[in-house]
Amino acid sequence: MYQAIVFLPLIGAIIAGFFGRWIGDRGAQLVTCSLLVVSALLSIIAFFDVALGHGGARIELFTWFDSGDFAASWALRIDTLTAVMLVVVTGVSSLVHIYSVGYMSHDTSIPRFMSYLSLFTFAMLMLVTADNFVQLFFGWEGVGLASYLLIGFWYKKPSANAAAIKAFLVNRVGDFGFALGIFAVFVVFGSLSFDTVFANAPEFVGRNFLFLGQQVDILTTICILLFIGAMGKSAQLGLHTWLPDAMEGPTPVSALIHAATMVTAGVFMVCRCSPLFELSPTALTFVTFIGATTAFFAATVGVAQNDIKRVIAYSTCSQLGYMFFAAGVSAYGAAIFHLFTHAFFKALLFLGAGSVIHAMSDEQDMRNMGGIRKMIPFTYVMMLVGTLALTGVPFFAGFYSKDMIIESAFAAHTDIGEYAFVLGVAAAFLTAFYSWRLIFMTFHGKPRASEAVIHHVHESPAVMTVPLAILAAGAVGAGYLFYDYFVGHHYEEFWRGSLYLAGENVLEAAHHVPLWVKLLPLVMSVSGFALAWALYIKAPDIPGRLAKMHEPIYKFLLNKWYFDEIYDFLLVRPAKYLGLVLWKKGDGETIDGFGPDGVSAVVLDLSRRARKLQSGYLYHYAFAMLIGVAAIATWFMVMGG
Amino acid sequence: MIIETLCFYLFAAVTLFSAFMVISSRNPVHSVLFLILAFINSAALFLLLGAEFLAMILIIVYVGAVAVLFLFVVMMLDIDFEEMRRGFLQYLPIGALIGAVLLAELLLVLGTWAVSPEAAEMAAAPTPPVEEVSNTAALGQLLYTHYVYLFQAAGMILLVAMVGAIVLTHRTRKGVKKQNIGEQVRRRRSDAVEIKKVQPGQGI
Amino acid sequence: MTPALIPSLGPAVPEILLAVAAMALLMVGVFRGNGASNLVGWLSVAALGVAAVLTLGLPGERVLTFSNMFVVDGFARFVKVMVLMSSALAIIMSMNWLDRENINRFEYPLLVLLAALGMAMMVSANDLISLYVGLELQSLSLYVLAAIRRDSAVSTEAGIKYFVLGALASGMLLYGSSLIYGFTGTTNFDALATLFGREGYSASIGLIFGIVFLAAGLAFKVSAVPFHMWTPDVYEGAPTPVTAFFAVAPKIAALALFSRIVLGPFAEMIDQWRQIIVFLAIASMVLGAVAAIVQTNIKRLMAYSSIGHVGYALVGLAAGTEEGVRGLLIYLAIYLAMNVGAFICILAMRRKDGMTEEIRDLAGLAQTRPGMAAALAIFMFSLAGIPPLAGFFGKFYVFVAAVNAGLVGLAVIGVIASVIGAYYYLRIVKIMYFDEPAAEFEAPMSRELGIVVTAAAVFTVLFVLYPSPILDSAAVAAAALVP
Repeated sequence: MYQAIVFLPLIGAIIAGFFGRWIGDRGAQLVTCSLLVVSALLSIIAFFDVALGHGGARIELFTWFDSGDFAASWALRIDTLTAVMLVVVTGVSSLVHIYSVGYMSHDTSIPRFMSYLSLFTFAMLMLVTADNFVQLFFGWEGVGLASYLLIGFWYKKPSANAAAIKAFLVNRVGDFGFALGIFAVFVVFGSLSFDTVFANAPEFVGRNFLFLGQQVDILTTICILLFIGAMGKSAQLGLHTWLPDAMEGPTPVSALIHAATMVTAGVFMVCRCSPLFELSPTALTFVTFIGATTAFFAATVGVAQNDIKRVIAYSTCSQLGYMFFAAGVSAYGAAIFHLFTHAFFKALLFLGAGSVIHAMSDEQDMRNMGGIRKMIPFTYVMMLVGTLALTGVPFFAGFYSKDMIIESAFAAHTDIGEYAFVLGVAAAFLTAFYSWRLIFMTFHGKPRASEAVIHHVHESPAVMTVPLAILAAGAVGAGYLFYDYFVGHHYEEFWRGSLYLAGENVLEAAHHVPLWVKLLPLVMSVSGFALAWALYIKAPDIPGRLAKMHEPIYKFLLNKWYFDEIYDFLLVRPAKYLGLVLWKKGDGETIDGFGPDGVSAVVLDLSRRARKLQSGYLYHYAFAMLIGVAAIATWFMVMGG
Repeated sequence: MIIETLCFYLFAAVTLFSAFMVISSRNPVHSVLFLILAFINSAALFLLLGAEFLAMILIIVYVGAVAVLFLFVVMMLDIDFEEMRRGFLQYLPIGALIGAVLLAELLLVLGTWAVSPEAAEMAAAPTPPVEEVSNTAALGQLLYTHYVYLFQAAGMILLVAMVGAIVLTHRTRKGVKKQNIGEQVRRRRSDAVEIKKVQPGQGI
Repeated sequence: MTPALIPSLGPAVPEILLAVAAMALLMVGVFRGNGASNLVGWLSVAALGVAAVLTLGLPGERVLTFSNMFVVDGFARFVKVMVLMSSALAIIMSMNWLDRENINRFEYPLLVLLAALGMAMMVSANDLISLYVGLELQSLSLYVLAAIRRDSAVSTEAGIKYFVLGALASGMLLYGSSLIYGFTGTTNFDALATLFGREGYSASIGLIFGIVFLAAGLAFKVSAVPFHMWTPDVYEGAPTPVTAFFAVAPKIAALALFSRIVLGPFAEMIDQWRQIIVFLAIASMVLGAVAAIVQTNIKRLMAYSSIGHVGYALVGLAAGTEEGVRGLLIYLAIYLAMNVGAFICILAMRRKDGMTEEIRDLAGLAQTRPGMAAALAIFMFSLAGIPPLAGFFGKFYVFVAAVNAGLVGLAVIGVIASVIGAYYYLRIVKIMYFDEPAAEFEAPMSRELGIVVTAAAVFTVLFVLYPSPILDSAAVAAAALVP
């Protein structure tokens, strides 16, 4: 069964990718969607079996490497954590597949798109079922590749190509850390299998190694290196710049990869490696700091964006920050819970946004929308549900998970925990503000689009709305239904050791925080809504004046804290310059000059000379023969025979 | 013996001289004539050795046929030898150098030359005594027995030469009238004569 | 005279057959006129085939006849079969061509036949004189063949150049032979071997000079650098089927003769020989690789290619071991297949206005004539020595032999030269497959040639799977030569 879950998408990808020409668009859609749906159904069965029942397995597929000490096999590790991820990945993926049938219906290379989607799903499943670091890395890179392919799917658009390359390169920075982390794990533990590493980890607590004359803690180093990988993949502060640009890809891709699944791989990895992270308080502090800062930072940027997809992208970035600081304060359950609920409502928001974009004839700028709620009521309701869930309105999914995170941060009772708490609450306010801003700007007010576009606005077909409805159901119910399992009373028997805790269960403490802490996020959410209502419904001219008044701040936010510009100045240009120098001078003039080009030039020169020797005159030829004889004879004369 | 020795040196010297003149004289006709002189002196040398058959063959074939043919060709073709030698000086230095080197080396070889003791015993076919067998018979005895293979092979070479010469130069010329006796004999009256009835005053 | 002098004709039956057939066919041709040239051609092919079969039927051990001037052993049989086969192929290749070029002459197959006879005699030579006679018979036929298009200036020029330089080379060879005779007193190979094998025999400088001149003459025949100058001009000028013939059969025969001399009578003097051969090999490999790069005429390119390949073959000879000779023979067998195939493709380069020989005319052949392009590509890859094609193994065996004989430097130079050489072979492939198509060629090749090309290509590709027939018989042949 588990094999089927993992490999059915691969089969779909191969069929659609290599035989798409023969089976046609419809065939490719049919094959990939049906295989994904089967995989999703099996995942749900697996979830009930493993997470709610008491199943679980480790399935060895075959040996991958066996070289000296270095051994790794393909194996599927199925525990509760994996089961949750399986449901999320295959569930969202199958819905996105189906949605894409409608969304991409006008595209010219549908089989390729479906193939990439399935390939991505396979890689993601490989990642979440990994039994060792190598396989994890395989999946990690696999999703990176699929993400690259999908962001650059419309490869004729220069911006899409640039975004794809940017995503790939920024991820490379993170992956470099991740790979170093894996190397370090192998060097320290002599193994890459999760079981061995986690079992031996306690022995290394407090041990140091010498690096550049400094004593450095081993486990902290490993954890931070691994976390750098997670930062890249999950778009955390510093390595987040690729995520907004990745919105160049088709919207279903944004929903699947850049909201629900791939970007959460970092969170998953930190939780999977909780036995390591738990042993290094320093690393956890670092994780919390980055997570909390990202949550706040991304929320502030989201306030000033005008592109509907970018708003949601920064929102994703922010929510990922929440997950990380939850993990950072050892509330892994809360992190995964938020991951779980977030997958539903964020995919819903993205697909809803896709539906809006579809309706508005590929218009993405919110300033050109407005007043279309009557025309696409279903999409409006869906977006509303997603927003309610995101902003943490009671009984919607986000309410349970996000509040749990904020409470956990408070309950941690550490300095960094309080830092995270404060920023988390502030981010909750901003989240509410930009989410409602999005709704108001898009659906309310007066239509700002041109006549032709407005005239053309239409509700999406059923193949797109049905997935929305399913996701909406998840966004409404997922929190309430699974609260007890993920973070509540059934915590222990639900997770069954797949999440490791060194000390007290912070979630336990989180249930007993003061009432004002519990109410604060809700208050923030309501005030965020109120502010958005005031600014965008009541007095729509205020935002513009505010922006004028506080231009520096507005520009600062609009330009995303100038991260791209700083990177461009600090890294991109020097690197480009260095590359240019090495290319022109180093490679072109030195290596090519003396190497291939030089040698071939010499050969060519010799060749021309040889041709010149071949004069065509008989006596030249005869003379050459005589010279040859004389030379050989002289040689023997001199050498004495 | 002394006379014989004197004769040898005389003929040898003339041979060398005329050989040199062949390549150095300006007039090609002179060259050919010197060539003939060289042949004749060589024939004389053969005579001194007692190889009268070879000597006669040399004169008959080389002088009588080959050299005369050369002479015809040289006289018939209008070749400007001066023109052909124009590049001569240009290549003289390096040519002289290579020639000198080769010559020096060969002289050196000549200096070390000695009939190796093995040479005599290795001689494959000893010459029969001159008193018993005539020159021609001795040659024939060897040529048709011991060297029959080479003799036949040389025949094949001549065949190729002949075929080659015909292939490369023989052309059937148009308009050349040749007598074909067989055709003439086979000819019948009906092939040659046609009787036409001519109407008066109309012509054919 | 005593009856004992009547030689045994048995071992020479193939040669006698060829000679008689040549004379008989000459009669047929003369009496039937040029209309019979196809008949003469097929009969010549048949004669060559029968001679090859007879050669295979000869006893395996070493037999001497004609006063020890003629030898038949395993080596001679192996090489003769190759020579006769390639001569027959040369006739087949020419038949259509002669028709189309309006030089329908019955002498053409006859001359090939006579050349084949000469080559067979060379291969079986056991005496300096029989060596010379065979060589001259072959050369003379080749001179005529080179000039057979007597109305064409280039063809005539090729013939003249070949003839004059060939005469010079023959002169050197004869001069060397006479020096050797003068210093040893014999021309017989066996006698020479015995002589040099004697205890304490040291070669005088004069003898070595003889060897140098002899080697120079032979090097001319195999077109090794610096005695190669005639090759490009003659290959380009001679009619294409003749070039194809030149590139294969005489090369094989002359290389075989070279090996027989070096490893037979002069086996004891291998040190002196090796210096010459190593020099010739290096010069040939390097020049063959380098000079071909700028060529635009494919026949000229093939000329340099053949010079390079002679260099590789000489590497095997330079090793001077049984393994080296085996490598050389394998090399020659593979070389035969590749070159025949490549030349048939070149022969098919024909447009309405006549033959084309420019490399750029091959542009885009893959689109206009995919089969021919594929075949030519196979041959080019193989000539370049790219595994797993046969050409790679040819080089592999000679280089291995050289390394085992301690000539590591020679092998290294050989490898470098083949890397350089790969450029121009692959360039042809590139032109055929990636350039814009040039004008299409005329009607495809005839059925016979198609079969031959396919066979050669299949051999080249599949040699890797079933090489043992060639490897084994080459090993037997090599063992016969190197005691």
